[in-house]
Amino acid sequence: MNQDCLKLTTYFAEHDKTGGRFLADALLDCYGRHQFATSVLLRGAEGFGSRQHLQTQRLLTLSEDLPMVTVAVDTRQRIEPALEEVAALTTHGLVTLERARMLTGEVGQVRLPEGLAEATKLTIYVGRGERVAGRPAFLAIVDLLRRHRIDGATVLLGVDGTAHGVRQRARFVGRNADVPLMIISVGTGAAIATALPELGAMLDRPLLTLERIRVCKRDGHKLAEPEPLPDADPAGLGVWQKLMVYAGEEAQHQGHPLYVQLARRLLQAGAAGATALRGVWGYHGDHEPHGDRLLSLRRKVPVLTVVIDTPARIRRWFGIVDELTHETGLVTCEMVPAFHARGRRGDLRLFTLPAGEGA
Amino acid sequence: MSALVWLSVGLLGGVGALGRFLLDAAISLRIGRQFPVGTLAVNASGAFLLGLLAGLGAGGRAMLLAGTATLGSYTTFSTWMLESHRLGEDGEMRLAVANLAVSLLVGLVAAAVGWALGGVL
Repeated sequence: MNQDCLKLTTYFAEHDKTGGRFLADALLDCYGRHQFATSVLLRGAEGFGSRQHLQTQRLLTLSEDLPMVTVAVDTRQRIEPALEEVAALTTHGLVTLERARMLTGEVGQVRLPEGLAEATKLTIYVGRGERVAGRPAFLAIVDLLRRHRIDGATVLLGVDGTAHGVRQRARFVGRNADVPLMIISVGTGAAIATALPELGAMLDRPLLTLERIRVCKRDGHKLAEPEPLPDADPAGLGVWQKLMVYAGEEAQHQGHPLYVQLARRLLQAGAAGATALRGVWGYHGDHEPHGDRLLSLRRKVPVLTVVIDTPARIRRWFGIVDELTHETGLVTCEMVPAFHARGRRGDLRLFTLPAGEGA
Repeated sequence: MSALVWLSVGLLGGVGALGRFLLDAAISLRIGRQFPVGTLAVNASGAFLLGLLAGLGAGGRAMLLAGTATLGSYTTFSTWMLESHRLGEDGEMRLAVANLAVSLLVGLVAAAVGWALGGVL
C-alpha cells in the first residue's frame, strides 16, 4: 500500500519530565495507545537544546542527560488525534510534523519525479532482531541499498518504540528482537525506485517512508544552497527547515570529529539546538559498509547531525555546516511544515494540500 | 569496627561522590567539552588532599574516614579510564594520550605538593 502519511518527530533531553514522569516514557505510552504504525525512540550521542547545555557521551557527567529523539509515522487520520497530547506533554523541546509517503505490505512500482538538486530520502523501519535469509535484516537491507547504488545509508538503533501498532520496549537483558530500528538512506529517485520492489519482497512486513529532499553538499562539493523559503506558507502558517549532516565518525575538521566541532560551533553561534545521532552500521558512496568491531579502539560508525530552524536562520547555520564539511559529508535540507516549541512562534497545524501533492 | 564507623564510611563516601559530581558537572558545563577537564580537576584536587592528609600524619580512623571513605569516592579512576577510551573511540588519539599523561603527572605532583605542605604545617 502506498499512502500519504505524517511523520511526527520530537527532540528533547533524557531527563525532561512531564507530570512527574519521564517525557520519553510519556510520549511512547501515547504512541502505543494510538497504535502508530511505527515509532522509534533514539538516544543522541551529543547535542544541545534551548537551555544551551551541551551534553555529550564523551564525558561521564555530561552523558546522563543526552538528547533524545522520537519519530512516529502513520496516516494523517491517525497522527492528528495525538497532536494535542504530544504538544501538551512536550513542555521542553521541539515537536515537528512532516509529510511523507508511507509504503506497507505489497510494495509495487513507485514513480519518483525530481529536479536536479533534489533527491529522495528512504527510511526503512524493521525490528532489531529481524532476520532475512539467516542474517540480520539491517545488514541485508544495507547491502541491497548499496547494490542499487543508493548514495548512503545509516542504521539507527531504537531503545523503545511501536511496530505495526504494538509497543516494543528494549530491556537491559534480552534479545529485544522487535524493538524497532530505522535505516535512513538518501539517493536519486531512479535508484530508490528500482530498489523498492526488491526491498518489499525481502521483508515480511515492509514499512518504509519516502520524502523529497534537497542535497546541498556531497563530499565537499556544494550542489545547492538550502531552498530560499519565506518564513510562512501561503496560508500564513510558519515554515521551518531541517538540515541533516551525514558523516562518518572518522570525518574530522581541524583534528576533531566533525560532529563534535559542528555542535560546538552551532552552540557558539547561538543556534537553538542540534542533535547528533550515532548509527551502528552504514556506508556512503563506494565505501564498504562499516560498523564497530570487537577490540578495535577507534569507532567506525556513521553520525548524523540534525538542526531545525526558520529558513532565515537555517541559511546562517548552513554557512557553518558548509565551512566544516569542506571535504567530506552529505548535507541535505528539507522543509518542515509544522513546528511547536515553547516560547517560539509556531503550531502543529498543517496547510491542507490538494490531494496527491503530499510527500 | 563499630557500627558508627561503618555508617560514617558510607555517609562520607556519599559526600565524596556528591562533591565530585558537583565539581565535575560545574567545570564540564563551562569549559570541558573536548577534554575531560572536570575529571582531571577532581582527581588532581583529590590527590592533593590525600597527600596533605598523609603529610599531616593522619592515620587510623581519621585516615579511614577522610582518606578511604571521602577522598576515595571523590576521585575516580574508572571515569578517567572511560573518558580516555571514549576519546580514542572518536579518533582523538592525541587527546586520549594527553588525558592519560597529564592526569598522571598532575596527580603525582599534586600528591607530592600536598604531602610536602602537610609536613611543614
